[in-house]
Amino acid sequence: MKTMKDKTIKRLAVVLVLAAITGARLQAADLKLFGTNGPPVDFHGFVSQGFLYSSSYNYLGDSSRGSFKFTEAGLNASFNPLPRTRIAAQAFTYDVDDAGQYDLVLDYALVEYTFNDYFGVRAGRIRRPQGIYNDIQDVDVARTFVLLPQGIYDARWRDFYVSLDGGEFFGTIPLKQAGSLSYEFYGGMINPSLDGGAALEIRDSLPASGHLDSIDSAEEFGGQLWWNTPVDGLRFGAAGGVVPVFNFDTTIQIPGGSIRPNNRTEAVFQQYSGEYFWKAWTFQTELFFKDYYPEAAGMADMHSLTWYASAAYRFNKWFEAGGYYTEYYGDTSQPDNSLLYQKDAALALRFDATDWWIFKIEGHYIRGTGLLQENPANPVQNDKGWWLIAVKTTFSF
Amino acid sequence: MVLAWVLLLAGVSQAAALDGVIIIVNKSVTVDSISVVALKDIYIGRTTYWPDGQSVDIAVMDDQITDKTDTALEEISGMDTSHFKTFWQRIVFSGRGQQPDRIGNAPSLVAFVASNKGAIAIVPADADLKGVKKLEVK
Repeated sequence: MKTMKDKTIKRLAVVLVLAAITGARLQAADLKLFGTNGPPVDFHGFVSQGFLYSSSYNYLGDSSRGSFKFTEAGLNASFNPLPRTRIAAQAFTYDVDDAGQYDLVLDYALVEYTFNDYFGVRAGRIRRPQGIYNDIQDVDVARTFVLLPQGIYDARWRDFYVSLDGGEFFGTIPLKQAGSLSYEFYGGMINPSLDGGAALEIRDSLPASGHLDSIDSAEEFGGQLWWNTPVDGLRFGAAGGVVPVFNFDTTIQIPGGSIRPNNRTEAVFQQYSGEYFWKAWTFQTELFFKDYYPEAAGMADMHSLTWYASAAYRFNKWFEAGGYYTEYYGDTSQPDNSLLYQKDAALALRFDATDWWIFKIEGHYIRGTGLLQENPANPVQNDKGWWLIAVKTTFSF
Repeated sequence: MVLAWVLLLAGVSQAAALDGVIIIVNKSVTVDSISVVALKDIYIGRTTYWPDGQSVDIAVMDDQITDKTDTALEEISGMDTSHFKTFWQRIVFSGRGQQPDRIGNAPSLVAFVASNKGAIAIVPADADLKGVKKLEVK
């Protein structure tokens, strides 16, 4: 377990290094790493530091006392070595609640070949497409809000949802007067971490005598379709994914010995999205279904649902404001159980001080505790409303 | 009939938006003309390579609210400057493409296009086009 001093030093190092790089305003065109006749390498990066405070409960960290455990940083590079070919990679580190812990991960590393506008392939470690934000959920500059609706885009679950090792094919099919259809279909392996959100949720579900021993890599298949309508800025999406076998090993101590339950589960996801950019407005809505089908006899299937609707308005090049309302139901068979739902109304203000520095402040009023995933830190939970303030700053280039 | 009028008006609107600006490309680009639809496909990332396989390198001017190039970019892409920036940030940080280069003024933008293979940009019609090729918009 990393010490607080180690984590603080790492946090400061990440912020300082990337802020220095951002301050230097690296320009991709200047980086002719392969000589003056070689392809230029395009670099981009970001570092974000957030702060959370909640009136009740500890959510995404020790938020009831104020928590700075909300850091994300990434650095990517991309270049075109050959016609129709692109190579790109991104390194990423994060620390949110007890997930991430500043482990340096290869976020994506891929080779892409585009045959034409209708068909291309990518292989390697790719970002998984699902909905509006899954493949960019940790990129603060690309949205209005500090926290996306957590029932869909849980900041702790990125190791499970965001990337996979495999490949996809993609393209856009013109539909004449009906707009166009963009598609991505993927397959590969996900590699959940013992420091990730899935691990946190599993540990949270175990009895005190239980221990999470390991989480297996798992195959995942799925796809994302976007109908880009003839109306500029309006699109609708549908995504689906399946993990045929998600398995983790646990040991539970019982009187006289221990047991190792069968945890093999099939997981299925569906997500439906709508997005409309109209003048200075951005309207978004999504609906997400997550279904687990345990293999073990006597284990009940689990069905969860999340939906949200949001609107944001950009006043000028400095200020943007937005709000959303979201509902998460961890078990749709118990919609009135506040331990299993979380309903959140959020208002946010974003300030773009410069092209490379933004600042956000956001307030949430929440009812329910379905997403806390921290039973030891939240021994008493009820259905009373509670508040969460989130503040975040990001440097990017 | 109604659809025909809508499409005609859309075409008139797009032609009007390109008043006062021209599309320039690096001389390595082999095409000499482009349709409005194909131009939009470039600026919204659906077309990322020229017919000869060379990558499309989009360059835009830094935000200038009253500039004709901003208006033209908005009409071509269907997005205002803020949405355009966010749109491309999503693409680059998800590993799906490269962000347009942002250049401070018209002479520098022309110089950038002249020195970068595959580059394309929208510039004021009175810009000095030394070293670049003008793309006819059909």
